[in-house]
Formats: sequence, C-alpha cells, structure tokens
Amino acid sequence: MAVDLSMQVLVVDDYQTMIRIIRNLLTQIGFKNIDEAKDGRQALEKMQGGRYGLVISDWNMEPMTGFELLQQVRATEALKATPFIMITAESKTENVIAAKKAGVNNYIVKPFNAETLKGKIKAVLGDF
Amino acid sequence: MAANEAAQKIRIAIDTLKTSNVRERPLVEVLGLSHQMADAMQAFFGSLDRSIISEFQYIADYIQKARDEIAGLQPNDIGNTRIPGASQELDAVVRDTERATETIMAEGERLMEMQPTDLTVYKAEVDAAMLRMFEACSFQDLTGQRIKKVITTLRHIEDRVSRFAGALGVTDGASKETAEEARNRELLLNGPAMNGPATSQDDIDALFA
Repeated sequence: MAVDLSMQVLVVDDYQTMIRIIRNLLTQIGFKNIDEAKDGRQALEKMQGGRYGLVISDWNMEPMTGFELLQQVRATEALKATPFIMITAESKTENVIAAKKAGVNNYIVKPFNAETLKGKIKAVLGDF
Repeated sequence: MAANEAAQKIRIAIDTLKTSNVRERPLVEVLGLSHQMADAMQAFFGSLDRSIISEFQYIADYIQKARDEIAGLQPNDIGNTRIPGASQELDAVVRDTERATETIMAEGERLMEMQPTDLTVYKAEVDAAMLRMFEACSFQDLTGQRIKKVITTLRHIEDRVSRFAGALGVTDGASKETAEEARNRELLLNGPAMNGPATSQDDIDALFA
C-alpha cells in the first residue's frame, strides 16, 4: 500500500537547525504536513492531542529525552502503534540495542544524508 | 622537667596570680611568680622532642611551598581573565556558526522554491545565491582561529595544574557523581563519539534487518 504523504509527521529535536534540515528533506520526499517539537515532553503533549503517522526524534534532549518519549509512546495504548524513527548522534551499541528493545522502528546515526532518511522511512512505512 | 610537671607549675603560678590582688602585692613577688612561670615554660619547650620540632619545620616548609605553588598557578589570572576569555570565544563560535547556517539554509530554501521559468534569470539567481553561500562559509576561518585560542588557554591551564599537582604530590581523590552525570548515565546520554560514530550505520542496519 502506498504511503499517505499527507499524514502528519512529528519531528522532535532541540536544535532548530536540525528540525529545519529534516523538514526540508521530508518536503523534498513529498510529505506535506510536518509538525515539530523541541523535546520529548512537548512531543508527547502534541501526540496526545493529535494524530501522527510518523515520529522522527533525536535522543539527547531535556527535560524528556527521545528514548523516554519512545518508552512513553510504546506504553500508551492509543499511541503505541505509531512508527518511530530515532535520528541521533548517540551511536554506542548499547544505545541502539536499548532503543530496539524499547520498540524503535529504525535508527539513523548523525550525520546522515537524504538517501539514508528516505531509505529508513521506506523501510518503516513502505514504498512511496 | 617532664611536660606534666611543667604544666602543673604553670597552672599553680596562674592560680596564684588569679587569687591574689596583683596591684596590692609587692612587685618583687609578682615578678617572682612570672619568673617561675617563664622557667616552667622554658623547661617545657626544651623538653620537646627534636623530631617534633623538625616535623613542625617540615610542615612550615610545606605550607610555604604550597603558597608559592598556588601563586605560580595564578588562580586569579585563570579565573578572571583566561576562563571568561575562552568562554566568550566559544560563544562567538556558536554565534558565527548559527549565522552562517542560517544564511546558507535560507539561500538553499529560496533556490528550492524558485520556479525556473526564465533560465537566464534563474541562472543569475543561482549564481548570486551561491556567492552568498561561499561568503557565509568564511566563518570557518574565524571560528578556527577562535577555537585555537581556546585550545591555547586550556593547554596553559593544564600545564599549570599538572605542575602544581606534581610539585605537591597531589593524587586524585574519589569524586562524587553529580546529578547531571547520573542523568547522563541512566539515560544513556553519551554524546557524539570521536572520529565518527561508535557504531556504523551499516552495523545498525544489520540489527534492524
């Protein structure tokens, strides 16, 4: 089934520049509705108030990290099926394994390129 | 004279002075008591072990050496000038990189949104935008120089602290984990690895295959 490019995508990062880069890449891919949050807490509040088809989140943020956001999302019945991609500079194996155990759908290590992002979104959502 | 005996004689002399009205006592008598006290003290200090005196001398020398080393560390220069200077340089680096990123991204976004209806106009716009991007990249030279100054400051402090620790034989004591360090450990916040990612994207992909 083709990916619905009009779905809401939530980009979570505490650096506005990184949000802007991901937003531009998603626009290039064809996504039309892109929302943003500056940390895990704000992202969770937005998710509880709206419907998102994909979350792309950084790990290292305050007060709530991307990892904590992932755990919260997977523990919440209404949100637990939301596809979740981590984009982070945290590249230790322990981080990748912890995220996988917590239910992340894919993991991108920074710095990354447009091709990698597109490939991981396809791996998670299907072709488009 | 043993220390206890000397202390007893001093106590008796003081008690005598306390219980008597010194003003009404003959001067000779008061002087006699003082003399008795001075004798007792002289005997006491004379009885001190020579090794204890040399220990005190060693401690005094060590304190003097520590004072000299602390002065050599120039803590006021580090705290008042060098650290604030390095901090200002790093703030300027953050500001310069933010400004350059903003310029480059804005130019890129503008080009992506342009419709190339007239190719001559479009080419001129692209060339002008590219020039502005090149100009923005000049931040790299300035930030490089600023970071070099910060590195020089850090090396300067490192040299002084190492010399200080070496001269006084200071060894690292056990340090207590701060709240921030505990948070970083619990939430696996390691930050970017040196020399590229600790685990490659290919290896990560293999875990998700």
